Order: sequence, then C-alpha cells, then structure tokens
Amino acid sequence: MAKSLLIISRQAPWSGPGPREALDIALAGGAFDLPLGMLFLDDGVFQLMPAQAPGQVQQKDLTANLQALPMFGVDELFVAASSLRARGLGSAPLSLEAQVLEDDALAALVDRFDQVITL
Amino acid sequence: MKFAIAVFSPAHAPSSRRALRFAEAALAGGHEIVRLFFYQDGVHSASGNVVAPQDETDIAAQWRAFITEQQLDAVVCIAAALRRGVLNDEEAQRWNRPAANLPAPWELSGLGQLHEAAQLADRLVTFGGQ
Amino acid sequence: MATLHVLSHSPFSDQRLASCLRVLGARDGVLLTGDAVYALLNDDLAHLAGRLYALEEDVKARALTTTAQVVDYPGFVQLSIDYDKVNTWL
Repeated sequence: MAKSLLIISRQAPWSGPGPREALDIALAGGAFDLPLGMLFLDDGVFQLMPAQAPGQVQQKDLTANLQALPMFGVDELFVAASSLRARGLGSAPLSLEAQVLEDDALAALVDRFDQVITL
Repeated sequence: MKFAIAVFSPAHAPSSRRALRFAEAALAGGHEIVRLFFYQDGVHSASGNVVAPQDETDIAAQWRAFITEQQLDAVVCIAAALRRGVLNDEEAQRWNRPAANLPAPWELSGLGQLHEAAQLADRLVTFGGQ
Repeated sequence: MATLHVLSHSPFSDQRLASCLRVLGARDGVLLTGDAVYALLNDDLAHLAGRLYALEEDVKARALTTTAQVVDYPGFVQLSIDYDKVNTWL
C-alpha cells in the first residue's frame, strides 16, 4: 500500500518560488496516484485569497494550479482556521474548496499521514 | 532502516551541513540511504562552482566526496535547478548557457524521484531553512 | 503515530516554533537544531519535558545549558527511527 504524504505550505504566494514548488510536489505525487494531502498554514493561507492580481508584480497566478489539485487526485485540502483568523480572513471566501480545521484537528491531521513535508 | 533524505538549502546553510552529518551517521549506524534529493535552494548544495573561503568548511565538496565514496543516488530536481542556474552539460547546451556547473556524481531528474524515494524508504527526513 | 518535529530557526525572530506548538500532538517530540536551540533560554518549552531534544553541537556551540535531552547525530538518527515520522519545519 502506498505511503501517504501531507504537504504543509506555509509561505505567502509571492514570497519566492516556495509556494509553487510546494504545489509541484503535490501535482507530481498526484500524477503518480499517490495518496496526498495539502494543508495551508500560516502565511500559506494567503495563497487562497480570491481575486488576486499577480500580474501586477509580474508573477504567475497559482490559483488555476491550486484548483487543478483535485483533477490530479489531490482532494484532501485543508486550511488552518487560526491562521485565517490571525490574518483577518476568518470569514472570507477562499479560492479553493478546502476543509477549515481548528488547531486541535491539525495534530490529528498530521498524525493521519505516513510522511510530511513542511515548506 | 531505509532513509530518503531531501535537502532544501544551499551548501553555506547550516542545515545542508546538518543533512550531511545526519546522512553520515545513518550509514555509520548500519542504515541505508535510498536516495538524496536536492530541491529548492538545495540545488546549490550540488553546485560545482562553489568556492568556499579558505578558512571555512567546503560542504559542497564534502557532499560530492560522500556521495562518491558511498556510491549513493544523488538527484537534483531539474526544474528547481534550471530556475536557479544549476545546469549540467546537457542542459547548458540545450538552453545555450555559458557554463555547466553540475558535476558528477549528481543527476538531474524530476520530482517523481522524490516520491519514489519516499515510497521506498522507512523514513523521509528533510533539511532546509537555516 | 508520533511525529518528531525538527526546528532550526531562532524563536525570537521567527514564527515556526509557535506554529509547531499549535500543531503538536500529545505524543509528538520536538528536536531543536541550529538557532532553534536558543528556545532553551526561557521556560516556554518546559511543558514538553520528556519529549524535548536538542542537538548537542548546537547547544555547545552557543554555550547554552539545558535540562532537555541532548543528542548527537547517531542520537538524531535514532530519534528519527523511534518516532513514526519526522516533520522538519523548513
């Protein structure tokens, strides 16, 4: 049975190549039909704000790539509620369908996966 | 135990050195390293062009020596490497760049190699940041 | 499943330790490496007694003293085996 991998993405969308490279790990794993999950934590929740305009800073819009995750078989997507609230996004709509988890559920989430990469 | 070790930081970062020391200890302890995978800024740990100051430890050179002596599978993610200007001869020619700086024993490949290593290993350990 | 969380940033200038503590499970361990050993300077991690570890070379390099369990590299390797998985806060 394949080992499952949780990817925790903690960086803001245009802080550098980090968010895209985290996503690439997920998409590559999905392409191999591996059981994967992705958690957006800390500044990583900024990746899920709708209607961003990355063209303004000559950056690529990752929203389409993020929304492609389920098509690659990665449909276990999670967001940390405390991270959203700390950033004033507690009740804001997200650009991605993701389960919003409180802190006590995050430990259980990490526990559920065989391996984890936090970047 | 089988280890997959992924390195996300350049040779001058303390975490690259820590990864090397961990890898050495794993082998010394009788364990196996399935693959070393270098991603994000970890591609710089594989650069053949690093000139460490004379009074500092040359971690890039130590990685090369370790991988060669122990005959380990050391993969550098091609997408991460290209973005950061770490190219082997083939890529330097393909993209018409003036220099190749990824020497043997490093191989360029894709993220599939990271996933394969993670599946084969008992433990996936990553090193990066500081 | 118990996870070994590995940190390497100073908690005085970085948020990773705070985030790690939010996600930490009741049986998880925390290994401080690099600048993360500066976390030993206050009592914030006292409640982790028994599951708090620090990399020996980093504690000694910074002339710190601690009651946390200090490990060398073979010890680090062993911890990664004793715990079910390793989560490094890159």
